[in-house]
Amino acid sequence: MNKHYWTWPIAIYLFLGGLGGGILSFALVFDILVPGSGEIFAMPVFIALVCLGLGCFFLVFELGQPTVFLRVFLTATAIIKWGAILLSVALIFGFVYWVSCLPWDFVAFLIPLRGICLALAGICGALVMVYTGVLLASLKAHAFWSTPALPVLFTVSALSTGSALCALALGMWPFDPATFNNAAGLIVSLHEKELIYEALHLIDMVLIGVELLVLLMYVLLLRGSGNAVARAVATRWVSGKVAPAFWGGMVIAGLLLPLALYSGGGEAAAAVAPVLVLAGGCLLRFLVVFADDRRKVPGEDRFYRRLPHHDAEFLTAWKNKEHLY
Amino acid sequence: MTRYVMVMDQRRCIGCQSCSVACRTWNDLPMDIVYNPVVTEGVKGEWPHVHVNYTPLICMHCEKAPCTLCCPTGASQKDDDGTVWIDYKKCMGCKVCVQACPYGARDTSEMSPRLERYARKCTFCRDRRQMNPEAKPYCVDTCHQKARIFGDLDDPESEVSRIIGSVETVRLMEDFGTEPQIYYIPALGGQR
Repeated sequence: MNKHYWTWPIAIYLFLGGLGGGILSFALVFDILVPGSGEIFAMPVFIALVCLGLGCFFLVFELGQPTVFLRVFLTATAIIKWGAILLSVALIFGFVYWVSCLPWDFVAFLIPLRGICLALAGICGALVMVYTGVLLASLKAHAFWSTPALPVLFTVSALSTGSALCALALGMWPFDPATFNNAAGLIVSLHEKELIYEALHLIDMVLIGVELLVLLMYVLLLRGSGNAVARAVATRWVSGKVAPAFWGGMVIAGLLLPLALYSGGGEAAAAVAPVLVLAGGCLLRFLVVFADDRRKVPGEDRFYRRLPHHDAEFLTAWKNKEHLY
Repeated sequence: MTRYVMVMDQRRCIGCQSCSVACRTWNDLPMDIVYNPVVTEGVKGEWPHVHVNYTPLICMHCEKAPCTLCCPTGASQKDDDGTVWIDYKKCMGCKVCVQACPYGARDTSEMSPRLERYARKCTFCRDRRQMNPEAKPYCVDTCHQKARIFGDLDDPESEVSRIIGSVETVRLMEDFGTEPQIYYIPALGGQR
């Protein structure tokens, strides 16, 4: 039975979670490397918060009984519970950090807390990126997911999309270069922003290269895997029904084209390439989430194929309670 | 200690689906969920040496159940007697247990109302056994071929202990390491 239990809300959630986590990690890393530069990332951090929030919304929206959701924080050691906690911490401290960047006087008391907030948000963001992969990789019933390389692939993709979005939104409002003082007490120059901008492009090029390598290794090696289910999915990606989306959408439009645009340089390329990277990252999550094949007992497929499905007339009647007198 | 297991005698199963119907009746299942399908493999072999293999599937009530480990709300749990069950009030319907089960034993209904889309599964008729400790799961009571045998594996005198100790049995997909508690006597096996 090829019933997909997790569909587009989960794919979007995994994408947005990775993207938000990636942005927060980059904000932290650059704040450490170039002390005080974290404020340039005010807009990217805001977008990261929106992404994480939207991701949480899709996650809760997809639940069968959303009202029970708060139990996640009370019990168990399950992976989803850790994901929920990491997401919450990243959201809360990321938000405090972002508020402290606002150019208003009444939030000035938050400025001393800025460093610790960004550190917590950045670390939890990095863990959220890894968590999106670990969540799927821990489900050993699905041979295509349960490989140690899936968290690596998701993390690299999350970092790549994160740096792409950082490059797009770097230095926007509420960052104000005229009033901005960095940690050393020096007025930050626009030159410094340009340096970070160039660095982000360079990092994204490297990450795209790594992602290409990891993705191709992942799919092509699973295509020769000893596990029949993983082999079937990988074959579907390489030469089957999903091949146009994988080769055309993911590899060419999502990785090779942005790589070429980045290396070509220029204003237009710098605007288009990150968008392609983001679209490619989203497509990757969709492809992976829908690759949820499970090993079947001989005859199981035939049994479920013969059952009536959504559109069968009497099923619709049942759903509309027309069978009740 | 009690450890409930079930033995499926595939030599006796004729694929009549009575157990599926009984289960559906007792548990009042929505139309799109089957707890225990009997799947058919074959016809195998060449005339006159042909046979059809019926495999009754059900929740395996694994010793190391991956569905209880991954449940983020503590709704999926394992009783002391080995029964894996879901507390519907605690289940938020995230479907991670459905994805974690290698046997496809769990399902969520698309026909149930929005706020009742929790995961469902076979519980060895936990409610039925709570009402009457002597009672067996309804599918076992229903099976007119006596192809399903239910009992306590920790009791050396029980029928399941004697069968598992004396006849060749197999378990499905043991390589996942979940230690399933449903033992099958293969249709063409049964010797030791």
